[in-house]
Amino acid sequence: MRKTFVLGILLFSFLFSLSQPVKLPEVDKSPLDMSYYPANYPVLKIQNKATEPLVARIIYSRPQRQGRKVFGELVEYGIVWRLGANEATEIEFYKDVKIGGKKISKGRYTLYALVYENTWTMILNKDTDIWGAFKYDAKKDIVRTDVPVQKTDETVDSMSMWFEKTSSGISLVIAWEQVKVSLPITL
Amino acid sequence: MRKILSVLIVVSVFCLSCKEEEKKPEGNDTPTKMETPVKVLPPITHYTVPDHSPMDMVYFPADYPLQKMAGKISALPFMRIIYSRPQKENRKIFDGLVKYDVPWRLGANESTEIEFFSSATIQNKTVKPGRYILYCIPQEIKWTLILNSNLYSWGLQQNRQKDLMQFEVPVEKNNVAIEYFTIAAEKRSEKSAELIFLWDDVKVKLPVSF
Repeated sequence: MRKTFVLGILLFSFLFSLSQPVKLPEVDKSPLDMSYYPANYPVLKIQNKATEPLVARIIYSRPQRQGRKVFGELVEYGIVWRLGANEATEIEFYKDVKIGGKKISKGRYTLYALVYENTWTMILNKDTDIWGAFKYDAKKDIVRTDVPVQKTDETVDSMSMWFEKTSSGISLVIAWEQVKVSLPITL
Repeated sequence: MRKILSVLIVVSVFCLSCKEEEKKPEGNDTPTKMETPVKVLPPITHYTVPDHSPMDMVYFPADYPLQKMAGKISALPFMRIIYSRPQKENRKIFDGLVKYDVPWRLGANESTEIEFFSSATIQNKTVKPGRYILYCIPQEIKWTLILNSNLYSWGLQQNRQKDLMQFEVPVEKNNVAIEYFTIAAEKRSEKSAELIFLWDDVKVKLPVSF
């Protein structure tokens, strides 16, 4: 009896859904996320606890490892990677900074990575609002800089990015699987 | 991508029918429980699990980054919204979780951000290009949608002194309960769209033209 009831509801809702013309965006398998420097800036802001102005924000989609081998396979060596999933990763600076010795004016950029076993080449590019790295255009690069690959102490399932304070400014830290890299940003 | 909606609806109705039975021994539901109190946030995002209310982006033209990649668009986008998507999870949303007459962040976590890449017109008012936060004051038959300049703020608290302009829009009803809070930009012409806000059985539309 209960099964029939549930089946009935399923059938009913299925038929009902067919009659719905509105197309809605699904929930992403690789959800979008944001990190700020200072970390958790929006919370600090409403609590009046922000001691430093907003410097940077990164917007990226977070693919899941799901038991796969990531670096060298899912993310192939030597091919420009969107540094996440879906749209290419966006980084925004709210003041002028320096990356790889080059002055970067405040504004929005796309951040890609050229991944190898021991080094990543981080690529800051000015073509924003773009899906993936399929139309990556090196002519629009602002700067390229190499960073060494480090190991994480645990396996990271959801690709993660965050900013950390360093002696010379801040670093963007990227971690997935057992790989971690830090991109120095001079303030 | 869109096919999942029907699955979601089926699943949500299915869950509703199960949970109603589970709930009975526990007594009353607690519809007033607030989402994510500020104090339990992790200090920093080291290896954090994905958000319970995932963030999402909406462009107009729709799927702008994909269309740009496919070479179908070369002009700049008109607008972009970044918001987080709470779920209904069997709760009464409007006049329950989301209180009438109380400002609501239109999502979860950070305030919902809307950026106009060119000058926009909403209800005969001109909105200058730029980035704003968008929140609403919901009521049973209408919502007041408010553009505010207090960017990069967590959405639990609005600074009303930074309100810039507001728009009243009527509340419409959906036939089905929408599980994930959803914002969509439905094209009305090459240069105009309806911003659509959907959650539970409520639907609200705000026409925007460029």
